[in-house]
Parts: sequence; structure tokens; C-alpha cells
Amino acid sequence: MRYRRPGLDVATHVILIIGALIFMLPVLLALMASTHTLPSLLSGGLALLPGSEGLDHYIQLLTQPAGGVAVPTWRLMLNSLIMALGIAVGKLTISIIAAYAIVFFRFRFRMLCFWLIFVTLMLPVEVRIVPTYGVVADLGLLNSYPGLILPLIASATATFLFRQFFLTLPPELLEAARLDGAGPWRFFRDILLPLSKTNMAALFVIMFIYGWNQYLWPLLAASDADYATLVMSLRRLTIAQDGVPPWQLATTMTVLALLPPVAVIVLMQRWFVKGLVDSEK
Amino acid sequence: MSTLTLERLNKTYGGNVQAVRGVDLDIADGELIVVVGPSGCGKSTLLRLIAGLEEISDGELCIDGQRVNDSEPAGRDIAMVFQNYALYPHMSVYDNMAYSLKNRRTPKEEIRRRVTETARLLAIDDLLERRPRQLSGGQRQRVAMGRAVVRQPKVFLFDEPLSNLDASLRVQMRQEIRRLQKRLGVTSVYVTHDQVEAMTLADRLVVMNGGRIEQIGTPMTLFNQPATRFVAGFIGSPAMNFIDLAHAEQTPWLPASTPGGALTAGIRPEHLQLVTAGSGDLPGRIEMVEPLGSESLVHVRLGEHDPLLVVRLSGDELPAAEQPTGVAINGPVHLFDSDGRRLP
Ligand SMILES: Nc1ncnc2c1ncn2[C@@H]1O[C@H](COP(=O)(O)OP(=O)(O)O)[C@@H](O)[C@H]1O
Ligand SMILES: [Mg+2]
Repeated sequence: MRYRRPGLDVATHVILIIGALIFMLPVLLALMASTHTLPSLLSGGLALLPGSEGLDHYIQLLTQPAGGVAVPTWRLMLNSLIMALGIAVGKLTISIIAAYAIVFFRFRFRMLCFWLIFVTLMLPVEVRIVPTYGVVADLGLLNSYPGLILPLIASATATFLFRQFFLTLPPELLEAARLDGAGPWRFFRDILLPLSKTNMAALFVIMFIYGWNQYLWPLLAASDADYATLVMSLRRLTIAQDGVPPWQLATTMTVLALLPPVAVIVLMQRWFVKGLVDSEK
Repeated sequence: MSTLTLERLNKTYGGNVQAVRGVDLDIADGELIVVVGPSGCGKSTLLRLIAGLEEISDGELCIDGQRVNDSEPAGRDIAMVFQNYALYPHMSVYDNMAYSLKNRRTPKEEIRRRVTETARLLAIDDLLERRPRQLSGGQRQRVAMGRAVVRQPKVFLFDEPLSNLDASLRVQMRQEIRRLQKRLGVTSVYVTHDQVEAMTLADRLVVMNGGRIEQIGTPMTLFNQPATRFVAGFIGSPAMNFIDLAHAEQTPWLPASTPGGALTAGIRPEHLQLVTAGSGDLPGRIEMVEPLGSESLVHVRLGEHDPLLVVRLSGDELPAAEQPTGVAINGPVHLFDSDGRRLP
């Protein structure tokens, strides 16, 4: 339902603009600060206007190591991207298959499996990090992409969401498909997957950001600079040799760290709309 | 071209819910069998047993004399039309109809030919590019039919396919299904809880109650010689009147050969007539008159505790309510024993 009253319109817009400004302010500050020199930052207080350096800090960071970070930032971004994509795609794949099994197959201990998966919701990485580290180390996967991705790849949340979605589908859909000669694999590929498109797009965005923002696990699993991720390196950058952290570079790296998640959201948003338009009418 | 044989078919859910009990049924090639019964009597379950969507607990199911108890649904070559149609929402009408053919690796050209042919037969050929969501209820129903027809299966199963349509569309689709089934000559089992639909469609009618078959026969056999009190009450609208003879005082209208005991007499509303008070077979009082246009239903109270008797009159007779009246019987009286079985 929509109210049509001009006074209300103005009020809601004021509230929305204030909200947007509050969210935008830190980002704006980082963006502005990244174009100032360090002395100008240290002397001038908050940098609300563009400085003199333009894109110089971005070029510097992307092409050469800086501060406590031993590789150029493009390398960090690549590592982060591989890890985030691996986690997002892996989580989607595993959880949709798990939900498929739980909802559409009658096997022994089906509910036990479901509850086991469900219980792991209460065990985030931080809780199980010591044993996880032990296992990954024993497998020789420290400082490798699989080592970064695998421990984070199972998702009870996504499994649960897919399960709920599958349960809303009329059971006759499966029966019609069975009569039409579709086996389990075809039913999954031809009917469940296309119907789950929009759900998958939404979950992909959430899971990508989750993977991109991982801090603690890469800190442990990627001691080698070649596998360091962007988010975990932000802090290393500020370990300064001469006592003054290079804030101008830190804010630059922060802005760089923002770009891929924003890009994913913008891209996927178009996909959502397309999915909605396709399936809803 | 197929026959279907059900022998002592049983289905028990979870060890104690007996949904289908000892069903015997022989269905001839090209026959349209309508299964009718109240909600929960096991009609859908029976259909799902035939389709292979449920496992048969006991008994035997044969198609063309071949036992198929253990075949997968796809292997039985049966098509089913569901109550909610169960169209694939993300596929176009064309793809919905083509899906089963694709799964059987039918050549593309053949698929195209059969889908367009079937679409023309069902008058949905201008909807082929649409999604199910873009169709009206009646159009979806046609697509669901098309999806079944295009396969040229051995058997059609229909599970209350018209119950989501409005009344006028239902009548139209009913006739169309009948015509289509005769034209294609495919053996069919059609489930409904609507006895008018059942009567108009069926070659033979199967009345089910509590998982059992009460009677099998042509619609007119079931109407004229109901084997049980249940069938008598279920077939025909408005329903047959029942008079409990154990409590009736005088019954000179019964044949002299009627045995004693706790019997029930059944008389159809159209076999009753209103006559002036004091004459006729049963004295009563008009309690309510329902004019329906082409006919009127008059509810007559016989005794204080007796149920109302429904008398069906032609439309131009409109007696006043709250009047004493006589009721005359001018048709057959059906007699049922205390177990509900018909006396010969
Ligand atoms: N999957 C099931 N599990 C347990 N009981 C069921 C199941 N399906 C149906 N039943 C029971 O079997 C009986 C017959 O159901 P159904 O065949 O759907 O009736 P109808 O189609 O005639 O309305 C009902 O009592 C119903 O509760
Ligand atoms: Mg049913």
C-alpha cells in the first residue's frame, strides 16, 4: 500500500537522505583522504574535499608493495576475489545439493542429517578455528587457495533457505516430472535449478561479501604473502617503519576493498530484476 | 490402446491409515471410468497407485495384462492431469508440452509436429510462447491436458481436473474432455467428487467410500438400481429421501411382500408429488419452498422428529409454505437393510 501525501513524501525523503548521508560519510572520507598527501592528512584534520594527489596512491598501491605488505595490491585483490568466488560458488553448489537431498529423497536418518546441518549454524569459523587449522595443516593446504576456501565452503544458512524454498513448491511438480520421464538429475537440472535462479542470485551476493570480508581465517591460513587477501592486509599496511602509519595508502586500499563487492551487488541487482520479470510475469 | 486391471489393490499409509481397500476393477480399452466419492475416500490415492506415484501395499496392477506394480511411473506410459495442473512455471507452454518428449529423446522435428498438432486440437496454438503465469485458469487447464495428450500414452489419469474452474467453464471443459477422450480413444480414469460431472462423463461409474468400491456400473444403473444406501444417497441431485421404517407408523405404500426389520426406504425427490392435505401416501406440512426457476424444491416435514422430505416440482408449481399437505409416491421405492445393502 502506498500513501499519496506530499507532506509525507518530503518527510520520508528527508529521513532517507539523512540515512544515506550517515552511511556514505565514512566512504566519502576514505575516498577524499586517499587523494591527500600524508602530511596534509596529519595536519588538516578530516579531509572533506579532494586533495592534490589524484589517482597517484591507487597507481602506487596497485603496482608495488607498500608498508608491511610484501606484494602489490592487485595481487591481494586477485587472492580475495578467488577466495570470495570460491566460497560463494562452493556454498551455493553444496547447499542446493544438500537441500535437494533433504527435501526430495526419503533416506534413513534424513531428519538427523538435516538437524546436524542445522546445528552447525551455531558453529561459526571463529569457534572451530583451532581444530580447523589443525586439519588444514595436516592436509598440507596452508598457503593455498583450497586451504583458504574449503573450511568456509559449507553453509547451513543457505541449505536451510533452499530447503524452505523447495518446500514451497507444489509436490505435484515433482510428480508431473516423474510421469514425464525426468529422473532425479533431470528434475534437478531442468526444474529445480531454473526455479531457484533468483534465490541463487540473492545468496550469491550475500555469500560473496561474506567471503570477501573474511579476516581471521586468511590471517591464519595465508602466512605466505602470495596468498594474502586484501582485507587481512589492511592492518599490515598500517604497521609503519618510521612510526607514522601511511594513512593515505590505508584509505586508498579501503576504497579498493570496497569496489568488488559493490560491483557484484550492482551486477546481480540487474540479474534479480531480470529473474523477477522472467518468472513473475 | 490398453486395458487396465486392478486386483485386490490395497494401500496402507504409515501402517494404520487404510486409504484403499481391496479394489477390484477391470477397465476396457478406450473406456472412460469415473471414480466418484466424498472427500478423503481414497480416490486420489487410487489414481496415484495406478500412476506409480505411491507404492502398492498389496494386490496387483496390470496394464495390457502385464504386471506393473514395480515399474517406475515413466515406465508405465501413463499421463496424468493434476488438480492444480502442476505446469512447469519457468517453461513456455511449448516447452511444458515438449518436456516428456524431450526426455524420451524424440527427434526435434517430431516434437514440433506433435506439439503443434496437439495445441491446435486443444485450441491453444496461439499461446505456445507464453508462460503458465500469463494464462487464465481455463487456458492452464488446456495446457495441462495438452501435456498429457501430446505423449500419446496408454492411459490418461485425471485428478479433479476441473475443480479449480468456474461453473460455466467447468461445463464446457467437461464436454470437451469427453469429446477428446472419445476421439483419441485412450483408456482413462477420471476422479471427481462432483456427481454431476461423474454422471455426464462416465462410460462406467465407480462409487468409492472409505477406501472401498461401493458399486461399479453405468450412470443409469447406479441411478436406477443403487446397490447400497450410500450410492443411493450420493448419486442424484437433490439427494434421495430416506425414511426410517423402524419408526414409521403406517406404511400402506410399501409392497405387501416387504419383510420386517430395521429397513430404510429411499425415494427420489422427483418421484414424489404434492397432493391436497388428507390424501396421498404421507401426511406432512410444507416447511420451506426453494424456487430454482426450472424447478422448485419443497421441503416437507412428516413427523416431529423425522428428517425433511424433499419434493421436486416443475418450475411453475409454487405451493405456499406453512401449509399442511399430502405427499404421493409415483415412482420406485428402494429398500435397504440395516447394513445399507439393497433388497432385491
Ligand atoms: N501421504 C499420506 N500419508 C498418510 N495418509 C494419507 C496420505 N495421503 C492420503 N492419506 C489419507 O488417505 C485417505 C484418502 O486420501 P485421498 O486419496 O487423498 O482422498 P480423496 O482424493 O478421495 O479426497 C485420507 O484419509 C487421507 O488422509
Ligand atoms: Mg483427492
